[in-house]
Amino acid sequence: MNKTKTVVLNKKLKLKIFSSFMLLTILLAAAGTVSILEFRKLSSVVNDIINDNYKSIEASKRMVEALERIDSGVLLLTLGEWIEGRKTIEYGDSLFLNAFHYAKNNITEDQEVTTIKSIELSYRNFQEKFNKPIVGTDREGNIAWYKENTHKWFLVVKRDVNQLMTINQSNMYVEAYQLRDKSTRAMMPGIVSIIAALIFSLLLNYFVSKYFISPLVELSTSIEDFRPGDIRLKCDIKSDDELKRLEDSINGLIQNITKYNR
Amino acid sequence: MRKEVILKHLGYVLFINGVFLLVSFLIAFMLNESSSTAFFFSSLICLVFGIFPFIFVEKIEGLSFEEGLAIVVYGWITTCLVGMLPYLMWGGEFSFINAWFESVSGFTTTGSTILNDIEGLPKSILFYRSATHWIGGIGIILFVLLILPQSKGQKMAIYNLEISSLSKMNFRFKAKKIVRVLALVYVSLTLLETVILMMFGMNFFDAINHSFATIATGGFSTKNMSIAYFNNVGIEIVIMVFMVLSGIHFGLIFGTIMWNKQNIFKSSIVRAFVIVLISGILIVTLNLYFEGYYSLWESLRYASFQVISLGTTTGFATVDTAHWPMLAIIVLIYFTIQCAMAGSTSGGLKFDRIFLFFKFLKRQLQLIKHPHGVFKVTVDGNRIDEKLELQTLSFIVIYITTFFITTIVLASLNIDLMTAFSASIATIGNVGPGFENVSSLGNFASIPVVGKFVLTLNMLLGRLEIFNVIALFMVKY
Repeated sequence: MNKTKTVVLNKKLKLKIFSSFMLLTILLAAAGTVSILEFRKLSSVVNDIINDNYKSIEASKRMVEALERIDSGVLLLTLGEWIEGRKTIEYGDSLFLNAFHYAKNNITEDQEVTTIKSIELSYRNFQEKFNKPIVGTDREGNIAWYKENTHKWFLVVKRDVNQLMTINQSNMYVEAYQLRDKSTRAMMPGIVSIIAALIFSLLLNYFVSKYFISPLVELSTSIEDFRPGDIRLKCDIKSDDELKRLEDSINGLIQNITKYNR
Repeated sequence: MRKEVILKHLGYVLFINGVFLLVSFLIAFMLNESSSTAFFFSSLICLVFGIFPFIFVEKIEGLSFEEGLAIVVYGWITTCLVGMLPYLMWGGEFSFINAWFESVSGFTTTGSTILNDIEGLPKSILFYRSATHWIGGIGIILFVLLILPQSKGQKMAIYNLEISSLSKMNFRFKAKKIVRVLALVYVSLTLLETVILMMFGMNFFDAINHSFATIATGGFSTKNMSIAYFNNVGIEIVIMVFMVLSGIHFGLIFGTIMWNKQNIFKSSIVRAFVIVLISGILIVTLNLYFEGYYSLWESLRYASFQVISLGTTTGFATVDTAHWPMLAIIVLIYFTIQCAMAGSTSGGLKFDRIFLFFKFLKRQLQLIKHPHGVFKVTVDGNRIDEKLELQTLSFIVIYITTFFITTIVLASLNIDLMTAFSASIATIGNVGPGFENVSSLGNFASIPVVGKFVLTLNMLLGRLEIFNVIALFMVKY
């Protein structure tokens, strides 16, 4: 019976200290985990900006460059420069299709779907115009034909490509703006847990001082103040733990010695 | 004063906050919102610090008045501090001072906001904002529930603090019963309003949030346009009814339901409160109609809602009052200063004090006429003693002095006089909206940082009743 009581009592101080440190550990572990998760989200946003938006913007830029090459190639053909014109158009066409293919496979926003379809359609119309024979036909030297047919479609495709670029630039801006909040979210658990740990330490210091140190000081003072003839220590520890047990043991010892001396 | 006792009770406060934060986290988690980690971590902090004192502090016997005072004042400040954590961690419009402002405004049931775009917030944050009102309102009941069973000799200590000594007048139940009565009335009114609002077409989320804010006489809405968003007369009438009920002493409402002697029909203060509200509505209605602002029906509709909203310290709006005629604005300013009844969840000056003030004034006039006469001041047969008279009058003086000081501080920050004055009275009265730049459909975003901080002090003083805060700092440790 006595043994069981001893085990329970022995656990009290140990349990208090262990529980306190467990709470602190939970707090810090959670702060660490939350920070890691938030930083992962942050890196995923950066990744999204690079992969989803930046690459589409680059593809759009390449498409615009390709369209300008094709347009100047058509102009060269109109002027009768067949070899130079065909070469420029072929290079521009291949550059455009390559960039368009990339943009088509990198759709991340709903708005992009309609814009890509629009680019595809307008470029097909543009292709129909610039693939027609020009040199040696009545189109050669016909600037009015160039302006009303191929150049018109060049402007339509360019407008659609620019729209694709604007969509991605806007999204990139929104995502970059959100980075500020996301970085705050990643940082805050760290900052809050530093402050929380500080307050926790102060509280722990107060509780240790109040419930461990003060009773010990009280006990040691009462032992020092003990005079022959006293039947017990002049202290009264309120807690129900090992320190109370120590006080009771000393009082028991005093009573045993008193009995023995009689 | 035993610090460990205060710490243990602050632990209770933090634990309750932690539970509400956990509910908000679950909402955020289920809806996959960006605020989930903010709520998770804030909840954990509250739960850890809530549990911590229980490891060391064992059973507490008795509770002194000073300890009760410290628990309430520090409890409110701690709640506001931890309440700003989810806002701060989520970011957006919530800078440090904005998070503090929103948190204090929520827990003190003021309802002033710094947000420009409320509808852009995640639903979990909207829920938490409204929940802060509800926690603040039920704070009265919870403190009493947890503390009173342990207090010896000072059974009414916390109760007196929270719902002011005036409320005792109409309320003669024993303390433990009061706790159950208030909790039951509070929860029932919230559920009832939610159901009725849903019957009038509001979805569950909006209904529960607006119920939280109404019953706590808060004022946070889930919409940028507040109640004006719904443009539904039925919803407005339901909210008006519940605003009036929430502005009345909760014990009297319970007494009415149970058909007790102490009920709202027999209380002269309730009668006066309702008469003043009706008079205010009539004046504003006629002023709006004859000034050509609205038709007679619209004037009555808008005037009723705005007068009741400010007169009960709720702060919801169905129209922007900033451009209303001066007479209407003056009437609304009066209601902002007057506040609702003691024993309700409203803060500020409280109607009971105004009521007593006029009783004292009447007696004073009688004394001028009959210098040697003996005139007693009574309310429903209860004689008002001189101590309460002195307390009431000095409270009115210190209340007016405080909002004048705040007005001067705000005006010195280059804020126009109407904004400064109305912001001061709206925050110390825990009402919410003021006029000009902080009008009913506006917000406090444009107030400088120092101004926002001063206004949060106002809210706390209004909630905790100025004397209690002063008394705490005069207590010798």
